[in-house]
Amino acid sequence: MEANVRKMVALYMLVSGIAILLMMVLGLLMLLAQGKMIPLGQDTFYEMMTAHGTFMIGAAAFAASAVMWYFLRQYVRLSFPIFVTHFVLFLTGAVMTAISIFVFRFAGAWTFLYPLPAMSAGMWGKTGASLYLIGMLLIGVSFLLLYLDTSRAIIREYGSLGHGLGWPQILGKVKGYGPPPTVVASTMVSIVNLVSLTAGASVLVMSLINLFQPSIEIDPLLAKNLIYAFGHIFANSVIYMGVIAVYEILPKYTNRPWKSYKIFLIAWNMSTLFTIIIYPHHLLMDFVMPKWMLIIGQVFSYLNGLPVLVVTAFGALMIVYRSGIEWDMASSFIFLSMFGWVAGVMPAIADATIVINHVMHNTKWVPGHFHMYMGIGAVSMLFGFMYYFIRGNGRKIGYADMVSFWVYTIFFLSLCGTFLFSGKVSAPRRWAVHVPEWIPYDRMGAMFAVAIIAAVTVFLYRFFVSVITVQAKQNIEVGPRA
Amino acid sequence: MYQQAAWIISVVLILFVLFVFLYVVAHSGQRAEYEPIQKKGYRIRNVWFLAVIAAMGLATFYTLRDLPFERPAHAANPTVVQVKARQFGFVLSRNEFRVGESIAFQVTSEDVNHGVGIYDESMELLAQTQAMPKYTNTIYYTFEKPGTYQVLCLEYCGIGHHVMTATITVVPAQEGEGK
Repeated sequence: MEANVRKMVALYMLVSGIAILLMMVLGLLMLLAQGKMIPLGQDTFYEMMTAHGTFMIGAAAFAASAVMWYFLRQYVRLSFPIFVTHFVLFLTGAVMTAISIFVFRFAGAWTFLYPLPAMSAGMWGKTGASLYLIGMLLIGVSFLLLYLDTSRAIIREYGSLGHGLGWPQILGKVKGYGPPPTVVASTMVSIVNLVSLTAGASVLVMSLINLFQPSIEIDPLLAKNLIYAFGHIFANSVIYMGVIAVYEILPKYTNRPWKSYKIFLIAWNMSTLFTIIIYPHHLLMDFVMPKWMLIIGQVFSYLNGLPVLVVTAFGALMIVYRSGIEWDMASSFIFLSMFGWVAGVMPAIADATIVINHVMHNTKWVPGHFHMYMGIGAVSMLFGFMYYFIRGNGRKIGYADMVSFWVYTIFFLSLCGTFLFSGKVSAPRRWAVHVPEWIPYDRMGAMFAVAIIAAVTVFLYRFFVSVITVQAKQNIEVGPRA
Repeated sequence: MYQQAAWIISVVLILFVLFVFLYVVAHSGQRAEYEPIQKKGYRIRNVWFLAVIAAMGLATFYTLRDLPFERPAHAANPTVVQVKARQFGFVLSRNEFRVGESIAFQVTSEDVNHGVGIYDESMELLAQTQAMPKYTNTIYYTFEKPGTYQVLCLEYCGIGHHVMTATITVVPAQEGEGK
């Protein structure tokens, strides 16, 4: 069983890693096109953009769900068949969305803002749109199954999701520490993603109905709210799943405990609530939204920074300080991920400020901050986990890996810098063609992206070779099957 | 102004975060007892918490006094301009204004979601809102300099998203035809 679990987790990470690498290549091509260094038709650009947004978040969430599942099963009884079903359903949905984009030319972006799927101005037809929406629905269902299973297992072990979040300890009914950090984080993710996936599924189904029966319309503002509630929560959950690797790996490397003390539990309860309710910061330029929702979007986005700034990142710094930690690829990536998360919060909080959003919303400032906490934060957590996973496989980690780590760190930070600066000079995001003022930053970004892709290729090669070697070794030890 | 402020604040804070993380890495080698580190760390964290809360409180107080979706006091009787967005262009009921003229751009869409971003001659974004079907969002704006301004679509709306532009001309106060 244990061998099957490891095999399945390795498969999750490999598939996600390859998808992330391919999407990085698409990102590079888009930057080259914006920088007028390669000719890329505008239709192809927007198809690539749709794929990049959909599969980057999808693949990162897919890998992060495997990280969460891998560690959570130490504390609760999770269903392996559900884990396999999640894998199969996700891939089926992903293949459908890929076909919708690259065969049927769907380019409605991951946001599929109603009524764009049904009004493509001739770029794609009903088949493309419906394949994309159904594919996304399948991906959503695959995650829904997983979170229903994690919720079930947590409730069974701890009594309720409230107990999983440490309410008895917060309220003083039970003394001592709360459930392990992995359980607390998994409870939070299960709750928020059950909400996000329900919102996403609702709007996907409504969009599908509208596609085939245009007389049944959706309120565009309601659709927008549902889409961003889904997208915001789901994308953010990637880092909340990934941070489980931090909670599990750093204590092993530093030989220091990471306990769920009261402040820690309060912070995770804050994150649970805030992650769900701050999505209106994506709608700050929809002035018809109720004013109180827009103000909540700003104020609670600020407050949502507190758990990471004051508790999680601070905890990571404290556990590493004078710990005698062994710095290898796993620990380096895990520590880097906390830097990426905290650093990314800064421009994100700036963007959640209504007056700043008024002149920066939908500029490249937005990909600037989310590439920072997704690329240097969440994805570093995944790479850290991958190196931790293959640790002890007997294969030496060479200088190429450490050099690639620094290349990744420095150039990803630089790439984010070009995005943020492009936002500062008002370059819009999601534009296939750029005016001369914005082009120098696209070209710089493209150069940095080449280095990042080279580094990621090294990480994936190392992971692939390591898991294959172990697999071959196990087969030899077991002997030929009759 | 806000772009510059966001850039400087973000860069300074990111550099501060980088310094703190590098400091910890530089002091991670020699192992020491964890308990005294935790005690000292919690004291620092309390100060850090108060500093972060204070910074957020101040930022909230100052920035919420300048909400872009509320009509400014000086624009009691603005020129109303209808802006209709559609794949892939804008129709403005009027596109020539005077410097100092208060304008209320009432923005809507005839098909999908679009964005209306007003850019000056140096391609700096001055104001924006979303153009939504069935809803009207209003931008209150007063041009301070004469010149040719651009309207760019700031919400992805399909294959012609990047060609969706319009032009606004602003003339000196004494030359305009006025309201």
